[in-house]
Amino acid sequence: MSHAAWEVLRNTLLWAGLATALVMVPGTLVAYVLARRDFRGKRVVSTLFSLPLVLPPTAVGYLLLRTFAVDGPLGRDTLGIDLDVILSWKAVVIACAVMATPLVVRTARVSFEAVDPRYEDMARTLGHGRAATFLRYTLPMARRGLMAALILGFTRAVGEFGATIILAGNIPGRTQTLATAIFSAQQAGRESEANVLLVIALVAGFAAVYASEALSQKHAAAAARR
Amino acid sequence: MNPPLHVQVRLPLDRFDLDVEFETTHRVTGVFGVSGSGKTTLLEAVAGLRRGARGRIRLGAAEWLDSERRLRVPPERRHVGYVPQDSLLFPHLDVLGNLNAGRGRALRGENQVEGTLETVVRVLDLAPLLRRPVTTLSGGERQRVALGRALCSGPRLLLLDEPLASLDAGLRRKVLPFLHRVQAEFSLPILLVSHNPVEVQALCEDLIVLREGRIIARGEPRAVLTRPEVFPLAEHEGFENMLPARVIESGPETSRVTLGHGAEGPALTVPRSTLPAGSPLLLSIPADEIVLGLEHPPGLSARNAVPARVEQVQRVGAVCLVTARVAPDTPPVVAEVTADATSELHLVPGTELFLLIKTTAVTLYEDPSGA
Repeated sequence: MSHAAWEVLRNTLLWAGLATALVMVPGTLVAYVLARRDFRGKRVVSTLFSLPLVLPPTAVGYLLLRTFAVDGPLGRDTLGIDLDVILSWKAVVIACAVMATPLVVRTARVSFEAVDPRYEDMARTLGHGRAATFLRYTLPMARRGLMAALILGFTRAVGEFGATIILAGNIPGRTQTLATAIFSAQQAGRESEANVLLVIALVAGFAAVYASEALSQKHAAAAARR
Repeated sequence: MNPPLHVQVRLPLDRFDLDVEFETTHRVTGVFGVSGSGKTTLLEAVAGLRRGARGRIRLGAAEWLDSERRLRVPPERRHVGYVPQDSLLFPHLDVLGNLNAGRGRALRGENQVEGTLETVVRVLDLAPLLRRPVTTLSGGERQRVALGRALCSGPRLLLLDEPLASLDAGLRRKVLPFLHRVQAEFSLPILLVSHNPVEVQALCEDLIVLREGRIIARGEPRAVLTRPEVFPLAEHEGFENMLPARVIESGPETSRVTLGHGAEGPALTVPRSTLPAGSPLLLSIPADEIVLGLEHPPGLSARNAVPARVEQVQRVGAVCLVTARVAPDTPPVVAEVTADATSELHLVPGTELFLLIKTTAVTLYEDPSGA
């Protein structure tokens, strides 16, 4: 495998990993609140967090571009400092994170909803406060679903194209990912390079989905035993 | 004596409001009622799990709820040991992990907890289970672990929700002795809710009857359960006589026991006990399995004809509950007979008669440890 292909794979995994890490903690908390609490506007919040799933990725990318533009809400003129996001590796991470958010939140929410809240009541009567109950009982009981959320979020981030190419561009060695590299190679007629990248994508994708399937099946079996 | 538990709770439910007030200093107070009468809700309110509960709840000097002063102590600071009907063992922990789930509070608290885990493991016979995943436990084992987990958390009050209801008859016989041991070994007040007359009679000193969220009767369990307004609530379970007894000797198929705690009570032939002579045990005899005879009938298949004197005759719907005493120091025995039979035999307080009891109608509740 060529040095360039290695670099693309390494960058893709690194940025997708960072994006997943960025999403997981807040995404899990939002999912827990959506699973457990009733509040005004809950449906609106839930819809907003699902929006990137149904919008064209390029629309999300353009929205992010407007947000981080010099005169945007998170741009230099507003913040007073330049985050230097657009056309950088940070843009890849942010685009991937936003696009992965719906899958993480929805999957984590379902996994929390599968935990009977009476277990949390039980933990409270045993002397654990809310935070300890969440960390020591809710999280471990929802762990398989949360693992699935993590894997799905990560794979979504790895495969992200539309939002990334608008916010981060497709600069070899700087912002190019597996998805955008295949696009470039195919467009330029570099077939052997595209083929190598395709095989890499196939192997990585298969492994991720296979792992997630195995986890969710174990989860279902564990739920059936209870 | 126990610290007084004072409960005054109002809580709107789907079909009615839970609205109860009581105070108890008994070791084991029972709350009896049919499913959906508000029993579990009451326990959850005491545990602090019902945010909508209004009123006052105190255990001794500890105030847990006082709506007027806007005081509501969260469940983690109430120091209750809650044993729900479905155990709710944490599936991600093994048995020992579940027992340790409340140890943190126990160790922080001021209650005496040294050796609690060891005591709990011994009393509930949990040693062989400690490393088992909870998903592999039987129903009776789950209940014992849930009970142990509650006891290990350093509780000031134990809340038991139908501890035997989810178990079949065989398992009930196995778990009941463990509840007796808990009662004997831990000086803890217990609030127990149940729709099972056996359970409440075997364990409770004081019984509160709940119907549609309100208290309709209260008192000594046997007396309360035979009241005309309470008896029908036992549904198909009917009334069970729970009688203390002591093993005299055991044959290949049956055992002889004496009723009561001493050795002077009348003797009965019952199914074979595994306990050595002299061991105490509990007999359970359904009231509708007892036949009454004015004379000792000859040529009888029933092994037991116990002389007794009628104390009370109560008409309950289509049947009569006849309460008769067999010995001064044993609880009276209740027999369920038709109203016609009662009038034909002229049964009134003072009538001398025989209680005819088939050996196979008797269930033994025995504690193998003899504790």
